[in-house]
Amino acid sequence: MLGKLIKYDLRASAKIFILLHAAFLLVCAAARLLVMDRLDFHAPAETLIAPITVMLVLGTFLISALSLCTSLLITFRFYRNLFSREGYLSWTLPVSGTTHLWAKIISGYLLAALDMIIIYAGILLLVTGRNVTAAYQPVAPEMAEAIGMPLSSFGLCVFIFCVIGGISSVLLIYFSICVGQLFPAHRVLCAIAAYFITSFVIQIAVLVIMAALGMLDYGTGTDTLADEMFSLLVPNTIFALLLCIAQYAAVHYIMNKKINLI
Amino acid sequence: MRPILECQRLTKKYGNFYALSDLTFSLDRGQIVGLLGPNGSGKTTLIKLAAGLLVPTDGHIMINGLAPCTDTKKIVSYLPDRNFLNEHMRVRELLSFYKDFYENFSTERACKMLDSLEIDRHMQLQSLSKGTKEKVQLALVMSRVADLYILDEPIGGVDPAARDYILRTILTNYDENASILISTHLISDIENVLDRVIFLKSGQLALNASVDEIRTQYGKSVDVLFREVFKC
Repeated sequence: MLGKLIKYDLRASAKIFILLHAAFLLVCAAARLLVMDRLDFHAPAETLIAPITVMLVLGTFLISALSLCTSLLITFRFYRNLFSREGYLSWTLPVSGTTHLWAKIISGYLLAALDMIIIYAGILLLVTGRNVTAAYQPVAPEMAEAIGMPLSSFGLCVFIFCVIGGISSVLLIYFSICVGQLFPAHRVLCAIAAYFITSFVIQIAVLVIMAALGMLDYGTGTDTLADEMFSLLVPNTIFALLLCIAQYAAVHYIMNKKINLI
Repeated sequence: MRPILECQRLTKKYGNFYALSDLTFSLDRGQIVGLLGPNGSGKTTLIKLAAGLLVPTDGHIMINGLAPCTDTKKIVSYLPDRNFLNEHMRVRELLSFYKDFYENFSTERACKMLDSLEIDRHMQLQSLSKGTKEKVQLALVMSRVADLYILDEPIGGVDPAARDYILRTILTNYDENASILISTHLISDIENVLDRVIFLKSGQLALNASVDEIRTQYGKSVDVLFREVFKC
């Protein structure tokens, strides 16, 4: 049953997901051909600043928009399938609440992870032109020294942390929706409130814990960017995974004991 | 043999409002039971509790001796009072969906019903009219070989001709040991197919009697009795 649920979940989101991500990759390919490949890194710096700034701003906007769309896709699927009128079918299937939850976690996480992979692929597509790599070559040793490892390895590490962390963002969405459905009169509003309040509390808790453990004392022993990043990323990821367990327990309880489709 | 549906002091509260209060009754197998009552009497709440969509505030509801769970959902075929299918799916995809999840779903029976109703299996649900969507839903629900069919307002949104077909379908598609719990306001339309009626009034049981008892004891039809009991 789990496999069937995942199949229908993925099928329901596939069309929009593929369309959005194909469009993103197309834009990246076009930007590579029309802008990045035409950049002359031997030209004066002033002529490079404008196109690179525009690319950075547009790229950041596009990536943020794509991530937001993927999150919304995951959110709508979970809400619609379980707590709107479609829930009348979902909850009367011979499937337990736990199986429903795992199906949603797996399908949601697959979409989130695939989204990150495609975003990284798009970024790689943009920055792996011969002119860019040739321009980077002379400063590569300096960069590697400043970062503490080659840029490619650093990028890979950040990517792995992002993919691992993706599970917590999926569970946070499900947790918020489940908390919202405990208030039948204002389900959506309460889910949004639960999302922002939980996010805020998590941020504060992470800061407090890190401050208490002395992890926010910069420049006292760490030299490279990688050291500083990892000193933040590792505890953050561990905390996020611990939080996942707590959120899973809460969602599991609500989905098995507190379902009320009014 | 165990009753197919049993309620023991069943209570459901929404905030401070009692949708059902202290409801106790049981239904034997092999009957078509009309669940009747005015708006807000608790019919849909009772049906949702039986389908496992609501959790009782107090008391118990049991299907074949079990509280609503995965096992009871295998033997209960439920038709809600609203469109509950994914509107982006095609009718043939819905047939596959039902086949995938319900072992007791008969694709053959569903296709036969859809053909009789002249519904194109390649159509997307969102492109069908409200009445046709309801017919598709009913065809899917009645194509399961279930022990208990729970139908919430199954004939409310369809034309009288389709209504007759649906009632015939209900009668011909269930076997003798199965039971049907049917909620509707269109009493006169279904009266002839009912074996028993349950009247709900303000979340409480007002009457639980067979149609024959009503006719002999009260000398009235169910429709007339309903109008008297629930007179505004």
